[in-house]
Parts: sequence; C-alpha cells; structure tokens
Amino acid sequence: MRIGEIVETTSTGFVAESFTLNRPPPLGSLVAVSLPAQDMEIYAVVAYGQTVGLDPGRRAVRRSTEIVFDEAIYHEHPELKHILRTEFGAVLVGYLAEGQVWQHLPPQPPPLHFSVQTVETGELRRFTDHLLYFRLLLSYNGPVSPLQVLAANVREVYRQRGSDRAWLDVAAREIATLLKNDHEALLTVLYAIDPGEASAIAERRGQL
Amino acid sequence: MPLKLGAVSEQIEHMAQAMAALSPAQEQFLEQAQALLRSIPADALRLKLEQQRQRQVRFPWLVATPHGSLCGAILAHPAPVDFCVIGVDASSVPPDRHRSVRFYVLNVGYAALTYGRYADAVLDAESQLYFRDEDLYLFPEKRDVPIEGTLLNARMEVESLQTLQEVIQHRAHRSSGERPPIVALRDGPLILWTLQSEPQEVQDKLLYGFLQAMSSLRQSGIPLAGYISYTDSRDVANSLRVWICQESPNECEHCKNSKRDLCLALAKIRDRDLFNFLATGERSELFASSSQILERYGEHRVDFFYLNVGGEIVRVEVPHWVSADAEWLSLLHAVIYDQSRRSPGFPPYPPALLEAHEQAVITTTERRLIEEMVERALGLHGQSVLRSAKDDSKRRRGI
Repeated sequence: MRIGEIVETTSTGFVAESFTLNRPPPLGSLVAVSLPAQDMEIYAVVAYGQTVGLDPGRRAVRRSTEIVFDEAIYHEHPELKHILRTEFGAVLVGYLAEGQVWQHLPPQPPPLHFSVQTVETGELRRFTDHLLYFRLLLSYNGPVSPLQVLAANVREVYRQRGSDRAWLDVAAREIATLLKNDHEALLTVLYAIDPGEASAIAERRGQL
Repeated sequence: MPLKLGAVSEQIEHMAQAMAALSPAQEQFLEQAQALLRSIPADALRLKLEQQRQRQVRFPWLVATPHGSLCGAILAHPAPVDFCVIGVDASSVPPDRHRSVRFYVLNVGYAALTYGRYADAVLDAESQLYFRDEDLYLFPEKRDVPIEGTLLNARMEVESLQTLQEVIQHRAHRSSGERPPIVALRDGPLILWTLQSEPQEVQDKLLYGFLQAMSSLRQSGIPLAGYISYTDSRDVANSLRVWICQESPNECEHCKNSKRDLCLALAKIRDRDLFNFLATGERSELFASSSQILERYGEHRVDFFYLNVGGEIVRVEVPHWVSADAEWLSLLHAVIYDQSRRSPGFPPYPPALLEAHEQAVITTTERRLIEEMVERALGLHGQSVLRSAKDDSKRRRGI
C-alpha cells in the first residue's frame, strides 16, 4: 500500500511526505520503495515522524477552545488539512535485487517523488530473517537516537512476525553482540524493547 | 552605515512623547464625538447632507450618509450549520521599466472553506504572465496608458473578482443537490477610489470587468463583501463635521464656530475609534459612501458598516444589492463574525482571507525565479534581456 512520497533523498535515507496527516508509519517499521525499471525493491526503517506547517515560515498556533479540541479542531478549521504536512524519515537498510536480499546500502538513493509502500508480512519475514541491517540502524544519525530506532524496529518486527519469540531471542543476542562494549546502550535498547523481557534476557546472558 | 540611527532614535523618542501628550486630549474629544454621534437624528443629518449636495457644495472630505441610526448596534445571528466562505486576494510582479522585456505577473489566491456537515477546504491560486500589448496597455492600438502602478492594482482587483466568480461557477458545476449558503470575501475595499483621478475612459475600461463580475455574483446568489482591517476611514467622523459646520466646509480658515476645536479634533478621529462602543459581534447600521467613483457603479453602489470582530473594529463594504437584502446582510454579518471566532490570531482575521493571502503571496525567491526563467527562455530563443545602466549599477554595487 502506498503511504507516502519521497521529498528528500540521499544515499543513506530519505524523507517522505505521508499521505495521511498526523499518521506517519510507526517508528521502526519496515517500508519499501519499488524501482520496477531496475527490478529492485529498496528497504528502509522509519526513523522519525513529524507534522509541521507546509510553509516553514508559518508556525502552528493554539486553536482549541473549551468546547472545540482535539479531532474537532480539524472539523472547525478544514483548511488545516491543506496547510499542514506529516513527514517521516527513513534510514536505508538494504534492497532486493535479482531475487536476493542484500543488507547494505543500495547503489543509488531511491528517486525523488517515488512512492513509499508498506511491506507485506512475507516480504518482512524474508528481509528480517537476517539481522545485518541492525548495523546500519546503529550508524543512523537523526532526530531520534539510533538505539531507540533499533528498539522500535525490533518491537515492530516482533509484532508483525506474529509475536515470534524465537526471532526476538536471536535479535536480542545480535544486539548484545553489537553493543557488548557499551553496557548502558545495550540496556537502553533492551529496556526499550520490553523491560520485563530485557531483564530476563540480560540475566540469561549474565549482563546484569 | 549611512543611516544615522542615533538621530532617528532621538526623533523616535520625541514622536513617542508627542503622542503620549496628545492622547488625553484626544480621548476627551473622542468622548465628545461619540456623544454627538448619539445625539444627531439620522434624518436630520441625511437632510443636511442632501441639501449641501443640492447646493453643489463639494466636501473636501469623504462623508457617510446614514441609512439608519448613527449609533445603532446590531448583534450577529449565529452562522448557519452548513456554509461556505470563499476568500480572495492577489499580488503581482509589476512591469520593470529598467528591463528591455516588459511583462507583469498576477497571482490571485483563493480559499474556499466549507463548514458544517461537509467540512472541506480548497486552497489554490491562478497565476498568469501578461506580455502582449493588449495586456500591457489600456489602449493597445495606440500603445497608450501603460498598466502599472494604480492601474495595475485596479487590474488586480478586477482579476480577483473574476477568479472568485470562476471558482464559484466551477463549484456549482461540480456539486449536485442543495447548495449551502456561500459568502464571498475580498481583502480590501470594493470602492476602487484610486481610479477616481483617472480619465473617464480609463475608469470605464477597468470598472467594466469589476462590475461585470459583481453582476455575475449577484446572479449566482452570492453576497460579496470587502473586508478592511485597521481601517483608516473617517467618513462618519467627517459627517459629524458637516453636522456641526455652520458655514461652508471649504472655509475652515475663517471659521468662528464655537465647536471649531471639536471639528478640528474630528479630523483626526478615525471611524474605527468612533465606533469602539460596539460590543464584540455587533455591527453598526449601514452607511452610504460619498466616494465619487461610486457614481459609475450603478446597481453595485457600495454601502458599508463597521463591525467589532473582537479586538478590532473593521470596515465591511457591500454592494447595494447585498445591503438591501436583509437575509444576505444577516448571513454576511454572521459569517464574518464566525470567521473571526475561527481565526488563529488575535486580533482576529478571517481564515478564508488569511489562506487566500498565503496562496496569493509571491515571495522574493519566486520573484527572482521568474526573472531567471524569463532570461533563460529568451536566451534560448536568441534574445538577450538588457537592463538599464541604473538598474545594472544597483545590482553590481561595484566599489
């Protein structure tokens, strides 16, 4: 399903304008950009979302009253849907070419104005069976800390894989390996995934 | 820095002191003026203004003829459940006489905001570049009367109303079933007083399109209003001056009237201050403007009222076919007040006009871009754009 259009693009990520106001795709979710001409599918993980004025010079101001607030504000001010925009940033984590999944940066950035799409469960399973892309997520530099983006991705993938505990264990071990030299960072990620599970996993690995 | 800010700052201080010293006296005169407004019978003032007119006394100022009581205050009705406000505004890139190619750009922005059960918004603009003789000159066959300055502004007003009319027609074609009431708002006056000093044939040419668009709106059943924020008008205050004037209003220097001080103070009082007794949501009674250009408006002759939108007294101008229709006038009053309630700022400003302005505005970057696009396009066709030496030297600013 098409969910946005790329408005900024680089070799490491892109910014897309969401088709739905105030509803960017979930933080950490896997999205894709199809390039039929190259027979390629580029994958990215949503790293932040924001809703701002269409014109950068116009700041949002308070609109609520005692009786009009929240969703009702949009009904009372129908122009808001046209002067606000929701955008999301995504970090590139790999691509599918010639039937094979690669978990490194694609040779070219995805083209400007191309559509961003959701990823079907089967495709998501296929991509997340390997976790090399965690390294790309950890090297991400943006408004949200890479540790939180990684944790959000693990939560999302775990959910979309149908609460796949085996996958979660593998992911936690992979994260523990990647962050073995940074105990605080490791705990930050594990707690952000699930405080209870994190304690148990950390205990099992003798990290606590 | 060539601007001597030190000197200016000293003068700013003097100005502030002078204004502060003046303000208690002005307050007193304002109270006297409002007492006068309450005491004058509207019929008697109308009669006096009419007599002066019959005697062909030319007022040195614009005066307002009251249609009702001078100090009447009418509260806004609630706006309908479903309605639409269409605001329109325009801006231009004027022709540059320092450039070898002559053209101008008009950008008319509009915002159609629908409220109620079918809440929706359409924000857009119509942009057009004009370069042909018939666009550049009012009389192209003689290449006479170039459209620039005041005439370009008037042309912009005409385009605004025509775009408004087109937007409404387009909506009428699209929608089926019962149409919610629509109100059309223009940013600025409906009285194109800047054309007053132009020759009659110039006025005819420019007013034709403006009045045609007004006729179309009337036929479509859409009340139109010009919304003037922070109005400088003194029409009603001037009528008070006529009322207290015992001699000719043209011979102030020989005046021996006991109310001369009040008369001189009235010259400095703006109608927006005079009507500050209106409560939020209330409007004044209607007044007819004496602007000379209105003699050419026919059925579209403009009346106006003042309205407290909450934080500001604004002037609203309406064609006579709106002011004469109680239902339309009431709808317009209700909708404008409702717009102020929905305004994101204070003092309020109608969102339909705010968004129309945002669509109409041409930024400095866009102006530069247009210039570059013209130069590139002409270059591709082997034409170079020459600039005057003056313009060139200002751009280079060589040392």
